[in-house]
Amino acid sequence: MTPARTRALALAALAALALLPWVLARHQLSILVDLLIFGLFALSLDLILGYTGMVSFGHAAYFGLGAYGSALVLIHFGPPVPVALLAGTLLAGAVAAPVGWFSTRARDIYFAMLTLAFAQLLYTVAYKWRDLTGGSDGITGVPKTTLFWGGPSLAEPRAFYYLVAACVVLALVACRALVGSPFGRALQAIRENEHRFVSLGRDPRPFKIVVFVIAAALGGLAGALFAPFRGFASPEGMFWVLSGQGLMMVITGGIGTLVGPVIGAMVFILVQEILSSYTEHWMIFTGLIFVLIVIFLPGGVVGTARRWLEAPR
Amino acid sequence: MAFVVEQMLNALALAGLLFLVSAGLSLVFGILRVVNFAHGVFYMLGAYLGFTAVKLSGQFWLSLIVVPPVVGVVGALLEASTLRFIYRRPPIYQLLLTFGLALILEESIRVLYGPTAMGVDPPVFLQGAVDVLGAVYPSYRLFLVVLGIAVGVGVWLFLQRTRAGLVIRAVAQNSEMADCLGADVARVRTLVFGAACALAGLGGVAAAPMTTAYLGMGISVIVDAFVVVVIGGLGSIVGSMAGSLIVGAAQTWGAFYLSETAMVIIYAVMGAILIFRPWGLFGEEE
Amino acid sequence: MRRRDFLAVTVVGGTTAAVGGPFVLRRAYAQNPIKIGLPTVLSGGNAQYGTQVKRGCELFGKEINAKGGVLGRPLQFIYEDTGGDPATAVRKAQKLVEKDGVKFLSGTILSSEALAVSAKCPEWKVILMSTINGAGSLTTTAFHRYFFRMNTSGPMGARAISLYLGESPMKRFFGLGSDYAWGRDSVASFSNQITAAKKEVVGKDYPPVGTKDFASYISKIKQSRAEGCYLALPGQDSTIFLKQAHQFGLTREVKPIMEIVELENMKAVGDAMEGTIGSSRYPFTVDTPKNRDFVKRFHAMHGVYPDMFDGETYEGMEWLSQVIQKAGTADDLDKIIEAWEDSKYDGLEGPFFMRKCDHQAVQPGFAVQAVKDPKYPHLIPKILATYPGEKVTPKCRTEEFS
Repeated sequence: MTPARTRALALAALAALALLPWVLARHQLSILVDLLIFGLFALSLDLILGYTGMVSFGHAAYFGLGAYGSALVLIHFGPPVPVALLAGTLLAGAVAAPVGWFSTRARDIYFAMLTLAFAQLLYTVAYKWRDLTGGSDGITGVPKTTLFWGGPSLAEPRAFYYLVAACVVLALVACRALVGSPFGRALQAIRENEHRFVSLGRDPRPFKIVVFVIAAALGGLAGALFAPFRGFASPEGMFWVLSGQGLMMVITGGIGTLVGPVIGAMVFILVQEILSSYTEHWMIFTGLIFVLIVIFLPGGVVGTARRWLEAPR
Repeated sequence: MAFVVEQMLNALALAGLLFLVSAGLSLVFGILRVVNFAHGVFYMLGAYLGFTAVKLSGQFWLSLIVVPPVVGVVGALLEASTLRFIYRRPPIYQLLLTFGLALILEESIRVLYGPTAMGVDPPVFLQGAVDVLGAVYPSYRLFLVVLGIAVGVGVWLFLQRTRAGLVIRAVAQNSEMADCLGADVARVRTLVFGAACALAGLGGVAAAPMTTAYLGMGISVIVDAFVVVVIGGLGSIVGSMAGSLIVGAAQTWGAFYLSETAMVIIYAVMGAILIFRPWGLFGEEE
Repeated sequence: MRRRDFLAVTVVGGTTAAVGGPFVLRRAYAQNPIKIGLPTVLSGGNAQYGTQVKRGCELFGKEINAKGGVLGRPLQFIYEDTGGDPATAVRKAQKLVEKDGVKFLSGTILSSEALAVSAKCPEWKVILMSTINGAGSLTTTAFHRYFFRMNTSGPMGARAISLYLGESPMKRFFGLGSDYAWGRDSVASFSNQITAAKKEVVGKDYPPVGTKDFASYISKIKQSRAEGCYLALPGQDSTIFLKQAHQFGLTREVKPIMEIVELENMKAVGDAMEGTIGSSRYPFTVDTPKNRDFVKRFHAMHGVYPDMFDGETYEGMEWLSQVIQKAGTADDLDKIIEAWEDSKYDGLEGPFFMRKCDHQAVQPGFAVQAVKDPKYPHLIPKILATYPGEKVTPKCRTEEFS
């Protein structure tokens, strides 16, 4: 893929994003916002999974934290949505710091198990702290407020869509910059061969912790967008099943490609949506498709597409 | 006094059940280096097949003997047709594959059996209760304790004292070397996976009279199994036994005295082990 | 093209083709039907409740459409599977509203789903009718005019059985509720009411949802020397508890009392549940001509006897249809809301009245007992006492009783 081609594709995508709300029916636009939010979630996971080689079973916890942070701020104070987004993002990042610090003391599968343990812990707290989080009922009635003080209301579907799309695009650009930077290259070196990294005299742990926090913050941003969009935050947003689905989204789209996971999230959700309207047993087909992708298309959608486009003709 | 005896037996019975479920998970990780997310679903499959076997034959003991191998075969077939092709890939792929298999299996069970839970009665011999040191205790739970110990000893003996067990342990330590020395690594892997699923299935058959066969029993048991395996040590049978006892005791006594915080404490213990001694109490240091 | 890439294209292409499919298929329905959207649980652990929703709707739909429908238009039920997840429930509900254009939603199973969907109804301008959700907050703190609850709520169920127990010789009770909103609220509600009846609550405990071994809790209950144990455990957990309690012989010493006595439980637990008492939101054994006929028709269509939510869903759909007929429109929601408020309905188990102040349907409450009856393949709920609606329904927008 030549740089020119990539740029052309990116521009086309941006144009599509800008124009789609005027073309799509109302409910299709709602679905698209959903896809973008989870696309952001998957993108954040790719930073640690695809670029640093860290498998996290607990990434959903940060999505959930972002949702709760945003929901609480909006319900109790009613500020413009971006303030709530900031609150959710910061909350997720703040909790991720100690979790990351502890978890990175272990490696590989043990790291993964630790992230699961911490996520379950957070889930249990959210579930039981009824006064703050509403417990198993969650927090409902989260409003969509305005873009900034005295600014336009975000209750209009298109307005909210643009906010979400803007966040996703900015996040993509930021992540691209991050992985291209020396920091990003260090991450990839850690993924390729951590022992080598250590033998060159560098400590991987600070890198891992920092990227873990960044990924959690971005995951939190996705959750913070979710709360006003769907109007609620609940413990399910932190449950390990969502973490597993996140991993599936990344693999489906293409691990280590940034834009792949975004597409992977879209494919993953759309396939489930469509299948579940046809049959109650959509889980069988989802599982089957996924197993096939894992075996035959390890590069995911984007990885396979790239190979196909670059194949000698 | 009767109360203390009762609680101890409760802990042992729960430990027995946990052991049956987690032993297989531990083996699959130790020997195949795969985290099998579908493990809970094989447990569930065992429970449902056990229900069918008892319904058809009226014999609980028969189902205890027949169902686990069937579950094992299902597992082996799945491994041979899917997992086998992706061992060389990064572990995330194998993990997610088992996730996908879990989805398929769980929903298939629902298609076959419907959403209602299926009750299974224990065999007449084990119904009712016996007097143990003043406590009136259900006989079936005592059976679980005995079964757990028997299976544990049996698997340990197999791995440590038989030639097949030696080959399996060799593959676990260094699969390439074992391959060079003539072991059929692929076949060993399939057999181990199948055996682990059979163990999970046995757990399911044994659990059904106590918990009924119900959808979602796989999900509810898998997290417990992970905790046991982490504490005991991935890959160690003795570790699974120890882990089961610890978690069983914690859940039993914890439920009685601190029901709300029992799980929190267990997660904390799990976390501490992962940080300070990740290979668990009895695992091998890597 | 290599084989792998062919597969890729097939997967992608198939997905794309499938996107267009539903748009084509949906056109098949004709005649301007009145659409009712049901974002319910059809997969996973609570699927049995979604099945009941479907059964109730299917029977009612068949019957009403055979008579020409409502206002001359057929009723059309559109089911969506939420899998018991509130995020999915809102997504599906939004799709039903925006894409299928439904003005009526029903069939939500979990309180978290109902609360999340209900909160959106004023924004979407659709009516959510609950035929299942018992959470008290839906008609108190989370109330809005687009929400109607035509079923017995949790507090009402606790009230009915408390009234019954107030007159029984039992004095000491233990409360066991699963550690989540419904479990805790139900035990709290029961505890308040039974203490007001001058009885004693000797202990309470809250096992985590999904507990598979209740041995310790059983020990606790035994030690407390309670005469009755009030249980608020969701379907699966209560099945396991009852089985294990029976194995420990607890059920012989302590009477199990449940906020909800369901057929699903009785089928799964079997005889071990015999003698259990509790409240039922709709016991199919109600002996009125209308109900006997309904049970016959239901059994003829579905081959099973109607459980609580089968009956309540049927009643809900019937009442909604009557209200639409009375209002003369299926599109002007203000008129429908006005017609529904303070209206009466002749239900299967007795008279219903929709209160204007909180849209809670005032209806009879039942204390029942699970008994064996040779005519049926499973235990059945025998009615021990019937209480008139005014006695079991809390004061408006509160959870207190007069």
